[in-house]
Amino acid sequence: MSRTQRVTDAPLLSVRDLRTVFHTEREDIHAVDGVSFDIYEGESVGLVGESGSGKSVTARSILGLVDEPGHIEDGEITFRGDNLVESGWDAHRGDISIIFQDPSNALNPVYTVGNQIEEALSIHQGLSGSDARQEAVNLLETVGIPDADRRVDEYPHELSGGMQQRAVIAIALACDPDVLVCDEPTTALDVTIQAQILDLLDDLRREEGLALLFITHDMGVIEEATDRVNVIYAGEVVEHASTETLFENPKHPYTQALLESIPGRTDPGQELPTIPGEVPTPTEPATDCRFAPRCPKAFDACTQVHPEPIDIAETETEHEAACLLYPEDRPREEAVSLHQSKTEDDR
Amino acid sequence: MSETATPEAPDATGSERSALTDSRFLAWALAGLVLFAVEAPALVTFVVGFLADAIAAFPTSYAATAADFLVGIERAAIDLPTLLSRDLVPNQGYWNGEQWVGTFLGLSPAVSWAIRVALVYAYAFAFLGWFAAGYELYRRRYRTADWTPRDDVVDRFRGHSWGKFGLVVVFLFVTMAVFAPTLGPTTVDQNMRDSYSYEMQYWNADAQEVQTTLVGEANRNSQSAGDSANVGPLSYDDYGRYHPFGTMPTGSDLFTFIVVGSRISLIIGVLSVALSALLATSLALVSAYYKGRVDLSLVLLSDAVMAMPQLLLLIMLSTVLAETWIGGIYSGGFVLALIFAGTGWTYMWRSVRGPALQVSERSWIDAARSFGQTPTTIMRQHMLPYVTGYLLIYGSMTLGGAIISIAGLSYLGLGVAPPTPEWGRAINLGQDYVATGSWHISLIPGVLITIVVTGFNALGDGIRDAIDPQSDSATGEAAGRGGGA
Repeated sequence: MSRTQRVTDAPLLSVRDLRTVFHTEREDIHAVDGVSFDIYEGESVGLVGESGSGKSVTARSILGLVDEPGHIEDGEITFRGDNLVESGWDAHRGDISIIFQDPSNALNPVYTVGNQIEEALSIHQGLSGSDARQEAVNLLETVGIPDADRRVDEYPHELSGGMQQRAVIAIALACDPDVLVCDEPTTALDVTIQAQILDLLDDLRREEGLALLFITHDMGVIEEATDRVNVIYAGEVVEHASTETLFENPKHPYTQALLESIPGRTDPGQELPTIPGEVPTPTEPATDCRFAPRCPKAFDACTQVHPEPIDIAETETEHEAACLLYPEDRPREEAVSLHQSKTEDDR
Repeated sequence: MSETATPEAPDATGSERSALTDSRFLAWALAGLVLFAVEAPALVTFVVGFLADAIAAFPTSYAATAADFLVGIERAAIDLPTLLSRDLVPNQGYWNGEQWVGTFLGLSPAVSWAIRVALVYAYAFAFLGWFAAGYELYRRRYRTADWTPRDDVVDRFRGHSWGKFGLVVVFLFVTMAVFAPTLGPTTVDQNMRDSYSYEMQYWNADAQEVQTTLVGEANRNSQSAGDSANVGPLSYDDYGRYHPFGTMPTGSDLFTFIVVGSRISLIIGVLSVALSALLATSLALVSAYYKGRVDLSLVLLSDAVMAMPQLLLLIMLSTVLAETWIGGIYSGGFVLALIFAGTGWTYMWRSVRGPALQVSERSWIDAARSFGQTPTTIMRQHMLPYVTGYLLIYGSMTLGGAIISIAGLSYLGLGVAPPTPEWGRAINLGQDYVATGSWHISLIPGVLITIVVTGFNALGDGIRDAIDPQSDSATGEAAGRGGGA
């Protein structure tokens, strides 16, 4: 799918300037602070970042699962033309499904697998009794569980981790979704099983036309499973590009550091680079670059000016980075003032 | 995990086997039928009588008609023979100079009574065994899954001797309450409520002949009131009546009083605990599901309720409602249960709220929300099962507390109105004679209350340790226990 094609299609799911804030007694935590991205039909989009960067809150926001004391303060989540933040999620329940990180936690231990699939089926397809059971068996077969006819009556603890995750996917599919949000779908699994689950998700995307949103900290998963990537840091998207471009030509210092810290990408014998420090908890609206304290390329202006996304596409594909280093072809001061004026325009 | 089920042949599991052609199931069902049949009339009498009492309490003419109808059924059922009845194993007879007349097979009243008590408990244990066998049969032969988490809970409880002690005590107590009319050597009606309307025959040793007197008259001469007049435990009075626990200051039988009193304690206790559990669980699920402001307002509400002086409220309401129809149900016991529930749910709510909040964080709740399941269904299907174990624990412990409170109140002369027996009142009646020969009047009910309440607490402890292995007390016993995760 090329970029020109997309101009005519509206995105299936569009997130614009999403801000999710948690009000605690001491402070407000801006867990998601102006995240924007699009997902088109049948494509796979990644959202990558360290722990605490706001990826999971983004996922929960998209599904309308943000609990008190948090709430979506601002922004739009548009699904098929409806702004879910305004209209509520009820009309589109099930159109966006989620699969969770830990399958043993996502399945209720007191009900059989079939029972839990049938629950979703009865809500979304009005099936019950033997029809629902048959459909549950079909779904288990779709997600590649052998001997589905017997497995459907088993309890979650009788399945292995990989089988459990397949069952979770089957439950998500029972809602007949258009978008599948995968919140660290492989983190709790063995490496061999990870690959199988990724293959399964890719098959579903191709065969059922599912759009996938991958939320992960694992660059390996991103490289293998996504078409486009958004790199998220402290609640903000710092770079987004097609997966290929991002891996070949990362622009933001954070993305560069992330990629360098993947084992196997450095020369043998060399110590694996890490990013010192950890993701800050954003308690104030951003007035500077939140990565600056950890950034090897930071300069004075980074602590005073908030970087805005700049189009840095070198080829026809899209590529944006939010860093004061860009646009590269301008003198440093001019670039900084460009960011500054962009920030002021937004206010 | 030594007791894990040995998996049966894979072709013989669950749905493929038809229950109706399985001999083991048929044997079990037959045993159940026999157990039911021998007690059917008593069961019908009990249930119908219970309903009739409840319906008659409503002040409408329809209720009166319905109650009359039910009483008719009750009368019909009473005439049918029942295994564990006073008629089949009678103990009330008299000595005619040569032998006992009117007792079971001419045995002494003490032995006849003991046989009846033994029969009742044998029946109760048979019933328990039948129930356990049924569960075992289901677990080994009919359930599809070889193992479910509940099996571990059962196995852990089996290895918990303190919990099993509690279970036995509670079982004995409940049996006592259920079979109260059968267990007593005499009945409340004859011995306490209407003692001057019943006649009895006895052997007059002075005149050397059988004479007839009123029960009330006999009671008057069998009083336990200190060293001057006393009928102690395990003894006969001058009228040839056997008193397992001795007599009370009024001369009526203490054992009958206690047995019937256990029923009142249990009914009020179970009713109050059930009502407060219902209230506490619903509110705990609501506050765990919605969190935030809803939770906060419930915290405030429960704090407000906790701040109310329970005793004052109780005295006030039981006085105000004493003359109304609602105050008349179970001699004021219903009002008592309502007040206990209304003021006691807060403690249970606090205890259940924690586990409810915990389960509300599980991903399966989010999954259900994401696919559009309704809040009430999520609470009922996905949160409640996680909380029920805790309800059993707190319910069991609260029940012990409720029994103590009821006894305490009737000791003070509040709550259950006087003609109806209540353990606390027996303690009160006997307190003047504690240091005399009539020590049994206060001591026996006091000891019984202690044992029963300890039993309920032990059962609660056992259930808690069985459900949540991490809560195991760090004793050597705990370390030596087998089974479980």
